[in-house]
Amino acid sequence: MILDRFSLEGYVAIVTGGGTGLGKAMCHALAEAGADIVVAARSSGPIHKTAEEVIKLGRRAMAVPTDVCESQQVNGLVERTINEFGKIDILINNAGIARGIEASPRDPVHKEMGPIWEITDAMWHQAIDVNLTSAFYCCRAVARHMIERGSGKIINMASVGGLRAVRNNFTYCSAKAGLIMFTKTLAVSWARNNIQVNCIAPGVFPGVEVLPSTIQQFARFMPMGRCGELREIGPLAVFLASQGSDYITGECFVVDGAGSIGYAPTGYAPILPIEIFSKE
Amino acid sequence: MVIDQFKLDGTVAIIAGCGKTWLEEIASAFAEVGADIIVAGPDLQRIERAAKAARYFSKESLSVLTDLCNAQEVQTLVGRIYSQFGRIDILVNNFNLEFAKPFLDIMEEEWSQVIDTNLTSVFHCCKSVGKYMVEQKAGRIVNIVSGLGERGLPNGAVYCASMGGVIQLTKVLALEWARKNIRVNTIAIGWMENDNAGTMEDPIVKYIPVQRRGSAEDIIPLVIFLASEASSYLSGNVYAVDGGLMARG
Repeated sequence: MILDRFSLEGYVAIVTGGGTGLGKAMCHALAEAGADIVVAARSSGPIHKTAEEVIKLGRRAMAVPTDVCESQQVNGLVERTINEFGKIDILINNAGIARGIEASPRDPVHKEMGPIWEITDAMWHQAIDVNLTSAFYCCRAVARHMIERGSGKIINMASVGGLRAVRNNFTYCSAKAGLIMFTKTLAVSWARNNIQVNCIAPGVFPGVEVLPSTIQQFARFMPMGRCGELREIGPLAVFLASQGSDYITGECFVVDGAGSIGYAPTGYAPILPIEIFSKE
Repeated sequence: MVIDQFKLDGTVAIIAGCGKTWLEEIASAFAEVGADIIVAGPDLQRIERAAKAARYFSKESLSVLTDLCNAQEVQTLVGRIYSQFGRIDILVNNFNLEFAKPFLDIMEEEWSQVIDTNLTSVFHCCKSVGKYMVEQKAGRIVNIVSGLGERGLPNGAVYCASMGGVIQLTKVLALEWARKNIRVNTIAIGWMENDNAGTMEDPIVKYIPVQRRGSAEDIIPLVIFLASEASSYLSGNVYAVDGGLMARG
């Protein structure tokens, strides 16, 4: 049955940043597809709630409070997962912070990031750590296990900000671009070990806390006239975690409703009348 | 349930193509997940075999002999399908006329033939089917090309140009039809199995990160994903299924 290729029955997945937003949506989707889930993030409350929801879906789950910027905590997370579940099939590096790129209840539509000299050393390091270094810590922690088993799936959550620059957003865009190339390097390095490593580059996916009126302000600039919905990330994550994608590795799966494929103005801009491109 | 989103129940899908392609495998897989299939192309034996494979799951499936480089024939084909089925949900374009020659030796007829088969056919199919999809305000198009649409290869001038053309066409269609609930995506495949496969003489394999050529089984799940509701926010892009070739460059 060809649909079996998409099943995650019996798989064990770790999802960092799994307590909220995209991470939580992916926990639900992977669980629906049959996987047991280890939910990791700094805040204990949301990850326990997500774990409960996974259990209600009929799967096993474990919440592990983890600061993914601390390599010891990451190693501990992996060790606990193997002790409890015996294996790790899937790792989703979703933990990350977005400054100046996300829609939020308080931001106006085009929030401007400050000039570069307002970025302190600490701010730069924090953005690189949470968005890139954390993925390094997690991948390093699962590497031997996956290589010894001769199988594994890793999905890194990048962003279209790693492909197209956002004005003054040095930290986020650089870190996400780094994550995309880290993904490809992992893929090429572990291809012979039957470990597939891909990344997802989401466009604009407002979290549940964003006001509908704010979402609408963004939406009118999108080619599809709408932003992404959290439920639209899950199926892609399931696909990349499943056997169906065994021959896909090192790829960046852009999921942004055609937002980044246009020439300036790109999708993230009003549609200009065609006449301006053909004026004499 | 998330897996349900990968199904194609109740849909009508046209699988169009010629050359070194996977019409039969795509037709069969799509039918297995619920679609009614029309296979169209100039190779009678192949399209009949593909339709037969699809009929194992979907009795309505059929094949229509069509010269896909001919605008009129394509229009007639699509009109007939729309009358018979009442809708067209999915179009898969899989055109792959392979051609290799040093650039200065390429003759004008050869250039035209490769462009016509690999690119202009896609233009004809997308145009005829697109009209109906725009009216329906619903549709998915999946264009299957080679990774050589993004990279170069000596002796591959016209082939690469034709594949690259399809990638670009996809982007424009995705933008023009984004608000019509039509998604258009491209799949870039790598080095696929051929007669050389598995023999000692296959020099390509060691350059593929996963150390093996691809087969139909490897690409089918991605075609299903992009044709189904599971990919509801993906449009306009190229997705490579190639054992890591594009990543290592």
